[in-house]
Amino acid sequence: MNRSLFLMPALALACGDPAPSPTPEPAVPVGPREVNVYTHRHYDTDKVLFDAFSAKTGITVNVIMADDDEVLERMAQEGANSPCDVLITADAGRLGLAKSRGLLQASTSKLLQANVPSSLRDPEGYWYGLTMRARVIAYNKEKVEPGSISTYADLTKPQWKGKVLVRSSENVYNQSLLAAMIAHDGPEAAKAWAQGIVKNMARAPQGGDTDQLLALGEGIGTVAIANSYYIGKLMASDEPEKQKAKAVIGVIFPSIGVHGTHVNISGGGVAKHAKHVEEAIALLEFLSSDEAQTGFAEGNKEYPVKPGIAVAKELEAFGTFQRDSLNLEALGRLNADAVKLFDEAGWR
Amino acid sequence: MVSAMRARAGRSAISLLAILLAGPLLVVLTSPLHTAAPEWSHVLTNLLPVQTGETLLLLAIALVTALLIAVPTAWVVTMFEFPGRRVFGWALVLPLALPTYIAAYTWAALLGPTGSISIWCAEHIGLKPNVLNLGGLGIVLGLVLYPYIYLPARAMFARGMSVQIEAARTLGASGFSLFMRVAVPLARPAITAGALLLSMEVLNDYGAVKYYGVRTLTTGMFRSWGGLRDLGSGLRIGIVLLVLVAVLLWIEHRSRRHASTATDQLPTKRSLPSAGSRWIIFAGCASVLLVAAGLPLWKIIGDAIVVWNMNDHGALVNALGHTAMLASCAAIITLLIATLFTFRERHGRRSDMAIRAANLGYAIPGAVIALGTMVLAGPLDRSNWTGPVLIGSIGLLLYAYCVRFLAVGTQPLFGALRSQPRTLDEAALMLGASNWRIFRRINLPLLRPAVLAAAMLVAVDVIKELPLTLILRPFNFETLSTSTYRFAGIEQLREASVPALLIVLCAMLPLFFLERLLGRTER
Repeated sequence: MNRSLFLMPALALACGDPAPSPTPEPAVPVGPREVNVYTHRHYDTDKVLFDAFSAKTGITVNVIMADDDEVLERMAQEGANSPCDVLITADAGRLGLAKSRGLLQASTSKLLQANVPSSLRDPEGYWYGLTMRARVIAYNKEKVEPGSISTYADLTKPQWKGKVLVRSSENVYNQSLLAAMIAHDGPEAAKAWAQGIVKNMARAPQGGDTDQLLALGEGIGTVAIANSYYIGKLMASDEPEKQKAKAVIGVIFPSIGVHGTHVNISGGGVAKHAKHVEEAIALLEFLSSDEAQTGFAEGNKEYPVKPGIAVAKELEAFGTFQRDSLNLEALGRLNADAVKLFDEAGWR
Repeated sequence: MVSAMRARAGRSAISLLAILLAGPLLVVLTSPLHTAAPEWSHVLTNLLPVQTGETLLLLAIALVTALLIAVPTAWVVTMFEFPGRRVFGWALVLPLALPTYIAAYTWAALLGPTGSISIWCAEHIGLKPNVLNLGGLGIVLGLVLYPYIYLPARAMFARGMSVQIEAARTLGASGFSLFMRVAVPLARPAITAGALLLSMEVLNDYGAVKYYGVRTLTTGMFRSWGGLRDLGSGLRIGIVLLVLVAVLLWIEHRSRRHASTATDQLPTKRSLPSAGSRWIIFAGCASVLLVAAGLPLWKIIGDAIVVWNMNDHGALVNALGHTAMLASCAAIITLLIATLFTFRERHGRRSDMAIRAANLGYAIPGAVIALGTMVLAGPLDRSNWTGPVLIGSIGLLLYAYCVRFLAVGTQPLFGALRSQPRTLDEAALMLGASNWRIFRRINLPLLRPAVLAAAMLVAVDVIKELPLTLILRPFNFETLSTSTYRFAGIEQLREASVPALLIVLCAMLPLFFLERLLGRTER
């Protein structure tokens, strides 16, 4: 008993290889080149792309994946000694926050400027959008005339009472949607929209985006607000539980007023205290290249930021859309205001 | 004289250690002094009242569910002979191997509005169950966490009250009145201690409450931090959380005041109920086990079989190694510290405030402990090194685990020590032994089973831990829970099932040792 207990750690040490600690780099890099990434994205696609980048350039990609706010705090606390070279988040607002907290540095790259449209990157080059997701309306094809909805505001009409499915306002995708509305139409209109949705909800907000889509399949509501890639993934899924929803779902690309469909990005920037700036820029450039953009689109059902790259076939079926051209820098700036409006509107 | 000085030095060293471990909590507690809270008035009017209300309600439902399951099952497995008693004895601990957020996701996939069982029920019975709400979450948490109460209650029933039970039997008490009027009141301190750990688990949960759309103090902390961009308000909500825990601790402390401590250490005699009753008891235990462990495991295993081949098995083995390494190191370190604190509690004149404070870490969400840890380690890491030496090191991660799980280590030890009569110490003192010698030669050997049991519980907790590991880990370092989160975090629950299943299996191992350990003393 006793012996077996004390064997446990020894056993564990034997089978777990010692983790590479963040190796401090001397001023002049010697030996193998590497780039250290802090990322919030936990998609297999990213891993595949990092591996492809390493194979191509010989630069090793070291990764820590964790949640946005914690990652920013870690960078801030590590300060000038932070080993982070590239920060990648799944929300433009967090990139803006990282910039304003002095955690990023401006980088100029002709390639990045050419590949990433200007509204999807920081005007001063602190961060670049890499992939895009649209916040769209999924509807039950058997119960809803797609022509009856063209804007997010349409969902607040009385005819949708008890029909609207949406997750809690705890989620950043809802927060950035409302932030975009504040940016365009001001806080009053944005609050009225939130109140209108609360009034029309089919149920108290719960679950994630996928759960709203599954609820459509069960006839719990008839319209759902969800991110495009969740719909793409559902459409590509072979899970038996998802087939019912898959069969009835159609997609509308709603507009904020006349401004177009709300999009948010995953993007990256070079860390303020990066020790491998050259490698960091090379990685960002690679992620904006045709090869990587196609990878994001196919593997994770996201919209490529680079114009001219094909979207996944599951999304292609839903047609094209006019993207809101609001510079995404506004999302971070207005995020707190959006959260407060949600609270005042009583949106869980 | 020299020995007195040495003793004082020893005490100071222990206090210093406690202060070190209370550090991240002190960051939270002192936040009004160092972090501005620009949105505090918004939080105060719009968030705090609702969050406090829903937190208390969730806590109440989880506690009632857990008590209703844990206490009767602990009673029947110790008091009665019935088919499968031995198997139930240990199997009833199994739900503890499920991380709460995985259990919550799994329950939602079965009994949420689009859950497979819900849909089946709607089609065949016309009733559609739905757990995806505050009430449902309370029950789910109760179902996963009840072993925290079951374990101490069973230990108490089995060892702590045989004389009183025999006396009550002689006086004609039996069955339900023996249970309610004699056993439960006697076991109350043990039950309350377990309920305290359970409450702290409920309070610190983030993943499950967020998914179920429940607004607790913990979601409020994250809403302020990430949503309102106001870390200061988040930390102040943390203070409210700590005050709540302090109240719970005080209740636990009071519940012990009139408790009898003289335990006779004789095993309680089991009786053989009638054949009918035996099968009723069997059915009761079997249904608890089926619902609490069987259903979620059935779903996880079912998913895991489908996606087994899609997993990178080499990476999983690697993650398993990391998990095992962290769990065993953290368990050993935490218990070494917990043992020192137990010594201080037993032989110090006053109880040490720093030790009390260090024990609060269990109620604080892991991400907030991580934040406090980074704030403390930051200044050192920013000084003139070639790189950060603390943040991102295994050492700091282990430190954070200690802060987080110290209570899991100390609570069972404090409890076990209380049942050691003071007369033992006094006799040794009369014979000229020093406090340390008394502790080492008398208290500690008697504590051995409790120390090992607590170590196993800490190991289980570390195996399941996610937020601390996620943010404090080194580059390219995966554990089983971070591997699970890779998928669960992006709503791909089926893909998450394989690492999730490995977590459960991995956590079963220490639970199995724990059971053998307790079984030896209780059987």
